[in-house]
Amino acid sequence: MRKIRNIIAIFVCKLLTFASKLLGKKGSSGPGGIAMKISPTLLKDLSSQLKGPIIMVCGTNGKTTTNNLIYSLMNAKGKSVVCNNVGANMLPGVASAFINMSSLFGKLKADCASIECDEASLRRVVPHVSPTMIVVTNMFRDQLDRYGEIEMTLGYLNEAIEKVPDVTLVLNGDDPVTMQLAKGRKFVTYGVDENCNVSVRESKEGKFCLCCGRELSYNYYHYSQLGDYYCKNCGFKRPRLDYFAKNINMDDGIKFDINGKIETTLSVNYRGFYNIYNILASVCVLCECKESYVGINSVFDEYKPQIGRMEAFCIGGKTTVLNLAKNPAGFNQAIATVLTDKRSKDILIAINDMPSDGKDISWIWDVDFERLAEGNVNKIYVSGMRKHDLAVRLKYGGFKNVSVVGSERDDLKKIISDDGEICYMLVNYTVLFATQANLKALSTLSEGGEIK
Amino acid sequence: MIITIANLYPDLLNLYGDFGNIRTLCYRLNERGYEAKVTEYFVGDAIDFDNTDIIYLGGGGEKELIAVNEELCPVRDKLKSYVEDGGVMLATCSGFEILGKTFETESGVFDGLGILNISSSWNKDRFIGDVILDSTLVNDKIVGFENHNTRIEIGSYEPLGIVQCGCGNDGINGREGVCYKNLIATFLHGPLLPKNPSLADYILFKALERKGDSTPFISIDDTEENAAREYMLKKIMK
Repeated sequence: MRKIRNIIAIFVCKLLTFASKLLGKKGSSGPGGIAMKISPTLLKDLSSQLKGPIIMVCGTNGKTTTNNLIYSLMNAKGKSVVCNNVGANMLPGVASAFINMSSLFGKLKADCASIECDEASLRRVVPHVSPTMIVVTNMFRDQLDRYGEIEMTLGYLNEAIEKVPDVTLVLNGDDPVTMQLAKGRKFVTYGVDENCNVSVRESKEGKFCLCCGRELSYNYYHYSQLGDYYCKNCGFKRPRLDYFAKNINMDDGIKFDINGKIETTLSVNYRGFYNIYNILASVCVLCECKESYVGINSVFDEYKPQIGRMEAFCIGGKTTVLNLAKNPAGFNQAIATVLTDKRSKDILIAINDMPSDGKDISWIWDVDFERLAEGNVNKIYVSGMRKHDLAVRLKYGGFKNVSVVGSERDDLKKIISDDGEICYMLVNYTVLFATQANLKALSTLSEGGEIK
Repeated sequence: MIITIANLYPDLLNLYGDFGNIRTLCYRLNERGYEAKVTEYFVGDAIDFDNTDIIYLGGGGEKELIAVNEELCPVRDKLKSYVEDGGVMLATCSGFEILGKTFETESGVFDGLGILNISSSWNKDRFIGDVILDSTLVNDKIVGFENHNTRIEIGSYEPLGIVQCGCGNDGINGREGVCYKNLIATFLHGPLLPKNPSLADYILFKALERKGDSTPFISIDDTEENAAREYMLKKIMK
């Protein structure tokens, strides 16, 4: 009976996925949810067939990139990997990912899994898919209206980890908040073991030692609350890092050494300090899975950042860079990365307030937009549902002549044709997909010579 | 004329964009030719109540709030005299809670600063969402966002406004915030003033009045602020 239910569920899921693709929808999570209604045991039946490791990736920022890097590394090792690499990271999305890799009769055709999972959903996913490792990239303020304070999110993760006592945690050792999860558990850590002076003025989340309640001190800090921290009162401090980055050079792409349990040098052609963490986390997972790290540099080099992760388009001979940023830590890092580009630039900032973005956008006042004043900026545009709030924010940040614009293709075209040598578009979650589609279309028109 | 704004413990009480309130006060003073001076106070600093025109107390998480309460307890009489004397003060988000005689968090009940004769209680259901108030104080609508487990019954005090949308102090009486003399306290968190210029101006006017300057304010260009307000009013009231 269970087997028949599974077959029906898989059939329905595959059919719906196919149908929604025909309709041009991304449709990555809905069908999985329906399949789970038909057969609640399906996911467990599928995931228990895996012989290799099951990795889950959580954390406020960098989940998707880290997960996709793990997928690419495992793939390069010749493994077939279940991966929700479209970012559908709640239970239905996880179910869809497994069903997509399964035959109609419920036979899973994969060796291992790398699954991105929403922090609040992990506790609902682990009863169905029992992870070998859980990666936690960082814990920043994000969508407070959905998660409440950060301690609530820690509570969700603790609840999930309790359910899988044998799991190995892969933790960002530079984050005092994330390290709260380590207590009494099996874990390995990664981090950046030198002062890179990338910090920006922003509020730190882990101001207080979560062990004793006193204020934390820092030998140095990277951004948000990440850094070499210690508590004068109770002795809580950054652990000895198992995998750490050193000799970091960010002049052109990123080049750094990984030391600790391994010794290697990596060099990639994309930018952003935060990418060091994403790479470290994925290398840490690879090595802890007892896979060789020889030859991995080419995997990182060939890695194409996901849509909207500093994704470049060429339109009318000019480069436009699209980047997703959905919370203060993400925005401040995006701004820091934009500032490393010395060319004159036009900038679009766009924010929606749909439920998946978070209805409360108070955090725009925690973003250090003021730094853009030193960034050789030609013009700043704002759009999205909360464009007027952005206009207020920038006005009070001392910027004059900020342009409030719409989100249509023609609006984007107008921005791109302004006088800057390059254009940056920093957008939050639900703005991303439409903007990306429009930029792609403009880029195709441009190739056809229709835009000059 | 110089208006001195005391920003209390910005390193602890800045849960969510509270900085926007200070920015707004300064901007609106400067636009009218007044000088704004912001003094940030950190744990261990002695607050100069005599030379302060506006006190701002923002919101923080539970641990931060308890730390701030402990820090302010020794000077609560001075703070009380400041408020009783008509000193201007704005408390937002969880800053509201410690002004009462007692306040409750998830970990228990604590003695507050006793500036107001109120007490707060904790409830596991969180009030989260957009808020619109009808305020007689500023004769205008106030828009904001609330996110709190705490319930406060303000008794015979005046509220900041009557809830048109949202939950307010206790989700029952339809009242939000509290006004006592020139103290305004509210659950509306983070950047309350950027989108409510009339409330910002009310606070500034009271501070200037206390210094003997009752010159009516010249109006300034609020195009962006009004557009942001309109969006929220439309979105919530639809």
